[in-house]
Amino acid sequence: MAQQANIGELLSMLDSPVLLVLEDITTAFRENLNSDRGPLLVNTLVDYYLEANSQQALHLLSMLQEPHDKHLLDKINEYMGKSATRLPTLSLLGHVIRRQPSWKHKLSEAPLLLSLLKCLKTDTDVVVLTTGVLVLITMLPMIPQSGKQYLHDFFGIFGRLSAWCLKNTGHVAEIYLVHLHASVYALFHRLYGMYPCNFVSFLRSHYSMKEHLETFEEVVKPMMEHVRIHPELVTGSKDHELDPRRWKRLETHDVLIECAKISLDPTEASYEDGYYSVSHQPCPRLPHRPADSTASPYISMQSSYGALTSTPYSTPRLKVSQTPGQLPQILNSQFTMLSTEPQQVTIWSPSASCGMTTPPTSPGIALEFSQTASQPYSKFFGTPGGKGTPLGTPATSPPPPCISDEFVHVSLPPAAVALPKKEDKPDAGRPSLSRQQNVINNEKTSEASGNKDSVGLLDLQDFLGGLVSYEDSVEKDREEDAISKEISEITTADAEPVVPRGGFDSPFYHPNESLSGSQKKPLTAASSVQGHSLNSEPLTSSLDKSGFEGVPETPKQAFTPIDKPWGGSNNSAGNRESRTSSIETSILTPSPCKIPAHRRMGFGSGQPSPYEHLFEVALPKTAYLFVSKKTDELLKKTKANADEECPSSTSPMEVLDRLIQQGADAHTKELNKLPLPSKSADWTHFGGSPPSDEIHTLRNQLLLLHNQLLYERFKRQQHALRNRRLLRKVIKATALEEHNAAMKDQLQLQEKDIQSLKLSLQKEQARYRQFQEEHDNVVAQLHCQIRQLQHDREEFYNQSQELQTKLEDCRNMITDLRLELKKANNKVCHTELLLSQVSQKLYNSESVQQQMEFLNRQLLVLGEVNELYLEQLQQKHADKTKEVEMMQAAFRKELAKEKFYVQQQSQRLDASQKRIVELESQLAKKDHLLLEQKKYLEDVKIQARGQLQAVESRYKAQKRITQTFELEILDLYGRLEKDSLLKKLEDEKTEAAEAAEERLDCANEGCTDSVAGYHEETIGRNGETKPLSVRGSSSSSSSELSTPEKPQNQRVGQFSTHWETSVPLEPSTSAPLTVGSLPSSKSFLGMKARELFRNKSESQCDEEGVTLNNLSDTSKPELSKDLSMEAKTPPSPDNPSPLPKNPESSVGQLHIMDYNETHHDHS
Amino acid sequence: MAEDPQRNFRSVYYEKVGFRGVEEKKSLEILLKDDRLDIEKLCTFSQRFPLPSMYRTLVWKVLLGIIPPHHESHALVMKSRKEQYRDVYHALQVIRFIKDSTPQVEIFLRVHQLELGKLPHNPSFLLVKDEIFLAIAKAMEEMVEDTIDCYWLVSCFVNQLNNKYKDSLPQLPKILEQYLNLEDSRLLAHLKACSAMSKLPYNLWFKKCFAGCLPESSLQRVWDKVISGSCKIIVFVAVEILLTFKMKIIALNSAEKITQFLENIPQDNTDAIVSKAIDLWHKHCGTPVHSV
Repeated sequence: MAQQANIGELLSMLDSPVLLVLEDITTAFRENLNSDRGPLLVNTLVDYYLEANSQQALHLLSMLQEPHDKHLLDKINEYMGKSATRLPTLSLLGHVIRRQPSWKHKLSEAPLLLSLLKCLKTDTDVVVLTTGVLVLITMLPMIPQSGKQYLHDFFGIFGRLSAWCLKNTGHVAEIYLVHLHASVYALFHRLYGMYPCNFVSFLRSHYSMKEHLETFEEVVKPMMEHVRIHPELVTGSKDHELDPRRWKRLETHDVLIECAKISLDPTEASYEDGYYSVSHQPCPRLPHRPADSTASPYISMQSSYGALTSTPYSTPRLKVSQTPGQLPQILNSQFTMLSTEPQQVTIWSPSASCGMTTPPTSPGIALEFSQTASQPYSKFFGTPGGKGTPLGTPATSPPPPCISDEFVHVSLPPAAVALPKKEDKPDAGRPSLSRQQNVINNEKTSEASGNKDSVGLLDLQDFLGGLVSYEDSVEKDREEDAISKEISEITTADAEPVVPRGGFDSPFYHPNESLSGSQKKPLTAASSVQGHSLNSEPLTSSLDKSGFEGVPETPKQAFTPIDKPWGGSNNSAGNRESRTSSIETSILTPSPCKIPAHRRMGFGSGQPSPYEHLFEVALPKTAYLFVSKKTDELLKKTKANADEECPSSTSPMEVLDRLIQQGADAHTKELNKLPLPSKSADWTHFGGSPPSDEIHTLRNQLLLLHNQLLYERFKRQQHALRNRRLLRKVIKATALEEHNAAMKDQLQLQEKDIQSLKLSLQKEQARYRQFQEEHDNVVAQLHCQIRQLQHDREEFYNQSQELQTKLEDCRNMITDLRLELKKANNKVCHTELLLSQVSQKLYNSESVQQQMEFLNRQLLVLGEVNELYLEQLQQKHADKTKEVEMMQAAFRKELAKEKFYVQQQSQRLDASQKRIVELESQLAKKDHLLLEQKKYLEDVKIQARGQLQAVESRYKAQKRITQTFELEILDLYGRLEKDSLLKKLEDEKTEAAEAAEERLDCANEGCTDSVAGYHEETIGRNGETKPLSVRGSSSSSSSELSTPEKPQNQRVGQFSTHWETSVPLEPSTSAPLTVGSLPSSKSFLGMKARELFRNKSESQCDEEGVTLNNLSDTSKPELSKDLSMEAKTPPSPDNPSPLPKNPESSVGQLHIMDYNETHHDHS
Repeated sequence: MAEDPQRNFRSVYYEKVGFRGVEEKKSLEILLKDDRLDIEKLCTFSQRFPLPSMYRTLVWKVLLGIIPPHHESHALVMKSRKEQYRDVYHALQVIRFIKDSTPQVEIFLRVHQLELGKLPHNPSFLLVKDEIFLAIAKAMEEMVEDTIDCYWLVSCFVNQLNNKYKDSLPQLPKILEQYLNLEDSRLLAHLKACSAMSKLPYNLWFKKCFAGCLPESSLQRVWDKVISGSCKIIVFVAVEILLTFKMKIIALNSAEKITQFLENIPQDNTDAIVSKAIDLWHKHCGTPVHSV
């Protein structure tokens, strides 16, 4: 309870005027709320709010956090059930919802929603209904998905309220109905925007009934005029639009914008993205359009951009203005244009209608190609599209109002043409200038704008001059055209920034008009008047009914509400005075209009300011765009006021606006003359209620207006949110564009680089090719040279070969010649020789001749002598012949004797020669024999040596044996002596010693050292120690003695044979043997030798062998005797030395008995 | 030899193919047919091939110089050898150094001693030399039937050992170590580790020429080589014995056990040992030039 009291205190202090206390209280409440989860505090707060209508409580409630939402909602629901507290509860709910609490999604589940719907369905209080509807509208975008279950409730409410609007069942004040109508209109928009298919199907089913038909005609149909066809109607379905996926990615403000997009109401509509560009792009495109005579393609072009957006005013005017543009004189053209305009309007109306329906696109394109003068412009627009279009669109969007003004003096179309151009061409100067103006304008109040405008215009004119000079170089026709455009451009440029300032102010347009007018010739002024009249006519008609009606007089006027502002502005420009009056008359109550008026002011001038400075800093262009957009919107809103003349076509919002404005005006008037009687008249103007009700009505109105205001504020916040996001996107996009441009520049640079590199590459390649060719040429040349040289070389080689062959020939010739020379020399020598011989012969022959002569003489002499002798002979011939004959015979005998003797001698010689040959052969044989004999002898010697070795070894063994025997004997002797010592005495002893000495001597002589040593030992023993010799056995000495002797004899016998062979050789050496010495026939050698000799030379050896035998026979007995004598003499072992020597000597004699001697003998 | 029609012309190739001793007998007969035997050739033959047992005695006698190379003097020389032996034998009998009961080996010893003039006074006292002689004589007695031949062979063999190989015999242990190192260094290391190298039965192996160690059938093949002038074969036989009984030797750790084992090696596969030893000898010392 204490807490309760505490809360009560706090509540009482909540509305304290002291700021500090207020802050403390709020913090205390917040802390309480944070700590306490119970519904108590919330409930008390709600109660308090409902009682005291405390703003602080409201603030606290709207800031409630999550855990308290349920209590709050419950509490609100609770109060909602009571009709008394319904209205404040609703306003509280509205407040809370507009705060967009974090628990807003719970709204759809709360029973509050049901009770709200129920309230809206059943309640009859207009104020409550209006408030409830606004709350509902606010709530709908927050619960797009979960609210679908109440869809039919929404629709039902809509149907009820729309019917209410018409029938006014509660007979409430009109002014309430206006509010209600506005809120229903908003609900319509919301429902149509969010659930088009369902809503349309509902409308179809609901208004197909006859009882509702009137309602439809009166209320719903005008509403439908303010919306475009929702795309969802085409692409979506009833289920699809309820699909949670559709809503998931949309935030509250997104939903709002979605709804605003489909609106055609300028107060409601939002032209973003596609819609926006579609509706406005035609404007900048206008200048591209040719000024040709054929207008149908032109319109079709327009229609191709957007079926709904055909700028009716601009099109004909443009055309008109363009056509004169080609003429040398602008003024003239304008004049003519003005004059022709009405005709054209009438002429072009069907074509415009055509364009609205289904325009053929192809001619437009063809026309675009055909145009010549404007093509550069179109190109101009094409290239800077990135920058130009965003700028262009907002820039051109404002013109409509100005166009309406300039329309009067017909300079607008060129302006529209030049506007984009201006933005592009003098890019540096123009925008800044305009912006500057804009800024300035913003500073100015609407009343003081006139001066400013003039200044701006002057500047612009200066600029125009520069531009004109700039354009001088261009062709004349086009120059003039450009000038005209520039002029119009300036005007539009002025108009554009001016417009926002003006807002809904009409005086603003006046200076504009006047300026433009002053700028032109008087003629235009006149025309402007004309234009005014002209314009007003179609406008009024068009305002009566939209393009749907298809009024033939206003074919150019599109049914789009966007275009309407033009008309509106035109009206406002032209019918300034009349409008104000009419408004005054039409407005119901001036008092409620006060607040909206204020609000409007804030709207117009105040609202853009929080963002503008930011935009300027961040993005000049975007800022400009934004500002222009904003102004545009404002403009539209202001123009909406002008639509009051045709309330049926205007939206309920406009009606409401107008009401508020009127109220504001009335309020000002009322302030001036408060106690005027006219007031009552005014009040009763609508046949309204009595004054007692008046206060209540006014209060309610105030409440409604407040609600409306809050609703609009909420929308504004949402828009602000969205704007921020869009701004970010724009910034990003521009950054990307700039980046893109930079990249493009880089790309171009790189391409340039590549091209330059390619060029250099080509150059290098060309150079390389050139070098290659040169190189090839050089190589070819060198090859040729080489070939030539080779050819030369071959020739030289051939020549040298020829020369060589020649040389060889020459050499051959030389050798031949030499040979010949030699031969010749030989011949010469020979001939010399012959010559000498011949000379010799000659000499001989001469001598012979001399001899012959001498002989001849002798012959002569002898002849004479002969004759003489013959004479003598003849004389003495008889006795001398006998004696001669005797002598001859003797000589013959003697000769024969000698011949015989010679024969005998030669025979003897032959015989002796034969003998010599024989002997020689015998000698050779003998030599051979001797060699064989030698070999054989060697063999035999070796054999004998072997045998001898065996024998020797045997001999040695024998010697050992004897030595051992001797040892044994000595041993025995020693023993004997020992024995005899005992028997005999010392004399015997001496004998034994002598014997021992003897033995010792012989042992020393013949035995080897070892044996001798042994003997000495034994002797030593004999002399000193006896026991050693005792060992000997008792053996007979005779046997022992005989045995050693026996082999000795045998040996001697054996040696005797050798002796025999050796001895007879001694005499043979000394004896003069003619036929070689042969060993004795008995000896082994001799036998062998004999055999050999017998084989080889039998004849001679036989005879000689006989003699040998004889010799040996004779010598043998003697020798044998001697030997036997000698052998017998040294039988004792005392003298063994000669025996071993003998064989040695015999061997040596055998050696000596060599063939050398015999050989000598033989030879 | 190629011109000799009696010889098989393929004999030259037998050896190349790997057969050995196919034509040996024939070639030996051809050698023996020569009057005045070529001792050089006989030596080479005996080193290269095992001698046929029927000619062994003759070849040994010739190689040891018991009979001269001339056939004609053989009878005479043998006669004198016989007589010499008988004379000595008789003399020994006369001086009662030997009796009829005296074993043949001892008779040989005494005869030999007498021939050298080194007959001891005490016959029961035996020197190391005499033991060697006895061992060799005992082995030879088994090989040769005729006593006189046997005596002469023993006597000459011992003489050869004492004279010709006097210098080389002490070197043999070193050579043994060297070849053992080449063949199996691990075994050598083991022997050295056991310090058995110095205690190997060198006396039995080198001085007695394996007499009493190997059975006579194997021994005579070794002696063929020894008589024909190579004493290195003894080393290889020793090496081969060590290699053959390597596992057992390695299993034994003390030098005494090794020596004891080596002095009584099993007699079963001595032929293989000898064949391997000859191969080893040929491998290390090269095959004698085929001058046959």
